[in-house]
Amino acid sequence: MTGNEAKTKHRPDDVAPGDRPDDIAVAVRNYLTGFALAAALTVASFWIASGPSVVYGLGIPMALAALAVGQMGVHLVFFLHITSGSDNINNVLALAFGVLIVGIVILGSLWIMYHLNTNMMIPNAMMDMHSQQ
Amino acid sequence: MLGNLSWAAIPFNQPIPLVTSLIVMAVVVATLLWITARGHWPYLWKEWITSVDHKRIGVMYCVLALVMLVRGFADAIMMRAQQALAFHAPGFLPPEHFDQIFSAHGTIMIFFVAMTFMIGLMNFAVPLQLGVRDVAFPTFNSVSLWLTASAVLLVNLSLFIGEFAQTGWLVYPPLSELNFSPGVGVDYYLWAIQISGIGTLLTGINFVTTILKLRAPGMTLTRMPIFCWTALAANLLIVAAFPILTAVLGMLLLDRYLGFHFFTVGLGGNPMMYINLIWAWGHPEVYILILPAFGIFSEVISTFSGKPLFGYRSMIIATMAICVLSFMVWLHHFFTMGAGADVNGFFGIMTMIIAVPTGVKIFNWLFTMWWGRVRFRVPMMWSVAFMVTFVIGGMTGVLLAVPPADFVLHNSLFLVAHFHNVVIGGVLFGAFAGYTYWFPKAFGFRLDERLGKAAFWFWVTGFYIAFMPLYYLGLEGMTRRMQHYDVASWRPWLLVAAGGAGLILLGICCQIAQLIVSIRNRDALRDRTGDPWDGRTLEWITASPPPAFNFAVLPDVTGEEAYWGMKQKALERRQPSDLPAYKAIEMPRNSPTGFVVAFFAVITGFALIWHIWWAVIVGFVGAFATFVAFAWRDHSEHVFSAKRVAQIDSDRRNARVAMVEGREKDIAHVKMTDIDDDPNRLGLLANAGAEKSGSAPKRIVTGYGFWIFLLSDFVLFSGFYAAYAVLSHAFAGGPKPYGLFDLKTVAIETALLLLSSFACGMATIASGVRNMVWTQIGYIITGLLGLGFLVLEFSEFARMIAMGAGPGRSAFLSAFFALVGLHGLHVTIGLLWLGTMMAQFWAKGFRADIQRRGMCFALFWHALDIIWVGIFTNVYLLGTSP
Repeated sequence: MTGNEAKTKHRPDDVAPGDRPDDIAVAVRNYLTGFALAAALTVASFWIASGPSVVYGLGIPMALAALAVGQMGVHLVFFLHITSGSDNINNVLALAFGVLIVGIVILGSLWIMYHLNTNMMIPNAMMDMHSQQ
Repeated sequence: MLGNLSWAAIPFNQPIPLVTSLIVMAVVVATLLWITARGHWPYLWKEWITSVDHKRIGVMYCVLALVMLVRGFADAIMMRAQQALAFHAPGFLPPEHFDQIFSAHGTIMIFFVAMTFMIGLMNFAVPLQLGVRDVAFPTFNSVSLWLTASAVLLVNLSLFIGEFAQTGWLVYPPLSELNFSPGVGVDYYLWAIQISGIGTLLTGINFVTTILKLRAPGMTLTRMPIFCWTALAANLLIVAAFPILTAVLGMLLLDRYLGFHFFTVGLGGNPMMYINLIWAWGHPEVYILILPAFGIFSEVISTFSGKPLFGYRSMIIATMAICVLSFMVWLHHFFTMGAGADVNGFFGIMTMIIAVPTGVKIFNWLFTMWWGRVRFRVPMMWSVAFMVTFVIGGMTGVLLAVPPADFVLHNSLFLVAHFHNVVIGGVLFGAFAGYTYWFPKAFGFRLDERLGKAAFWFWVTGFYIAFMPLYYLGLEGMTRRMQHYDVASWRPWLLVAAGGAGLILLGICCQIAQLIVSIRNRDALRDRTGDPWDGRTLEWITASPPPAFNFAVLPDVTGEEAYWGMKQKALERRQPSDLPAYKAIEMPRNSPTGFVVAFFAVITGFALIWHIWWAVIVGFVGAFATFVAFAWRDHSEHVFSAKRVAQIDSDRRNARVAMVEGREKDIAHVKMTDIDDDPNRLGLLANAGAEKSGSAPKRIVTGYGFWIFLLSDFVLFSGFYAAYAVLSHAFAGGPKPYGLFDLKTVAIETALLLLSSFACGMATIASGVRNMVWTQIGYIITGLLGLGFLVLEFSEFARMIAMGAGPGRSAFLSAFFALVGLHGLHVTIGLLWLGTMMAQFWAKGFRADIQRRGMCFALFWHALDIIWVGIFTNVYLLGTSP
């Protein structure tokens, strides 16, 4: 809270997600930068996946993951205009909550299902056993 | 023409459902005739059905919940009677009917009683407590209500046309798969819950946005009443958890309708994944129910103890801690599925940890009562009964959280006793407390105290007599959902339990009588001051019932317990606050959108259940057209003039004057003419008393609401993504990613999507500077590139299906088609949206609401890129990489 009466009225401490800078030139430059970065990261991903000799083994999935996370960040910053500025705190907090839940759902499911599949007979295997009898 | 629907769907050979549905239909028809004969339709249509007023919507939610409580209870007492009779005997319910009853009981009680009641009370009270005039998106609020009502209608229709699920309330596969449940019962469940799920999600978005962005001036987050905090937490849980439910039920629908293999027992399907995902929703769900109840108890206990809530800050921390922790305990619902020691241990400990913030709350309530002047009115009695009952239920819960104990108690009546102990003792008692507490605010008169107390005693004793024996029976080894049994020593306890259900029936009868008697005696029970309980929060500052705009002037909040402070000041001065400067108030216009959309939702749902495909299309087109028509309207608000506001407020002020002067009984009227002539005092002058802005401007509110929607959409994708990750190696002897996916096409698809996103950005900039030509050109390019993406994706799908790699081939391919297809569906919806929006820009110009929609569209379109990045990396690149 700025405590400034005039400021609270127009709430510069808060913007809508997706609100661009007012200056057109800045806004267009923003999108161009974002587009260039996103394209570069995409190309890099496809290149890594094609199995170049510089990366191998476990490096490929790790590099792909890093590139994907980076590109998602680029999209967030340059296209959705989510920034780390103080006017964006509400939007970033909501995003953080969303990311936390997405992470819990995916990683939690993988962890649980891995254990279930190892400890229990997967239904398929059960079917195979039936057919063998 | 009518799909699978035929006369065979009507249960002519089953007297119980047939007679019941005939009676219900007779009652409904009689009610409709009565309304017609009395000429109430115009009133109902204008004031209720099309109302977007949060108070009216809240009341309608509560009415729906009360009616469904009776339906759910009818199921309950039939089950208790069956188990009382079915010792060495078949009882009066055949197994397939008994199975439908316990499934319907759980479904109705959770979704249409507990959820609906809590959402109703939040709707009614939260905006009043925040000191604002409505929720963030009033029309969507009405859509939420009516979609819930559609789902209620569908579930109840299953009694007469077809059947309901026989699988239990969470329809576990493989039993719920087409092989084992070929009837329409599971489909009724699935479509009803999907429809009501959309409504609930909209409620969640609406309330998160309302609480975070719309508050009275000066109402900072840490000055909000605790009910608003618990509502915030519950609605955050809704937006984060309900998409998981939508995802997992969507997968089951794909299995049943399109031959996918997510959860089948063959071709790689894995039923355990369903149980994992449904409880990832299911556990947060119980906190969605109980958190608002905690809020109600906090308000009630503080009010009736005449003290501020003890430990307000710790209550907030406990609430938010529960909000996050509730996402980390879901495995305790299936300890016995065999995850092993470390996983079970982790989730067992997390479950015990979540009991800590709940314990903090119990102590806070106790310390609030400590040294207070406790008045044992009906809401307070429910609260005290809750504290005792909930502690017992909570402790049996902690016991069940110990995995070795759970191995013994799993699926036994001990579990049934436990969750009824917390849901009835927590949620339902909370709902009753809130219902009695806010009833005078909603209708202007209190509920009869004597009958309220009678209902209370019947309910509470009935609850203990009905459920305590179930703990014992569970320990004796009786499992849940038994249609008959042969163990003689169980029988006495089941007879006692049936007696308890009978007492609860008396309690419900008392509640019905209470309502009727109170309406008859309403003049004697009238609440003239608007503050019948000596309240502390802002809803008690306005009249009972509040005017459409809630507050003639938005209250200026200077501390916690805003109203209490103002009241004390006024009582000290022996006069109310100075006459405020009234201003004209804009309120949203009523809209039939919600009702009409729900009408089409019922058609769509019913047609999907019975495979009447043409009607499915009619329903979808109708619902879409309704939204377009709503978006098209020119006047969305109507205005109360300042003078009208002053007139409406004068009665309230008169009552207040009487109250602070200590002559509540005889209210002396200040003549309206005294103040009518002075425009200055009325605040009719142009710039008189400009309000301190408390709420965010509309653009931020809309953008934030849409942002919350997008986050829930990400969670929806995460459900499908998790399923893909788990099933991605379940090839079942079918094709593998390498050699199946064509990376060149994927690269072109990605390029098209990126370019489309860029074009959309340019169009948004053009619309920001109001350049119509470039806006339209930008959007056309956006749309064409999006269309190109879709065409490529569909041709890829067609190629794969043609080579025998369709979704029915293996679980891996099912998960692939569902995940990528869901993204494609989003692109399709985006294109439809884009088309209507372009037409609107063209027809209406750069109107503010259309521009806000343009901003949301841009967010949506860019977010689809982010999801696509996840898909092309993890599905295509990782899948095919060496």
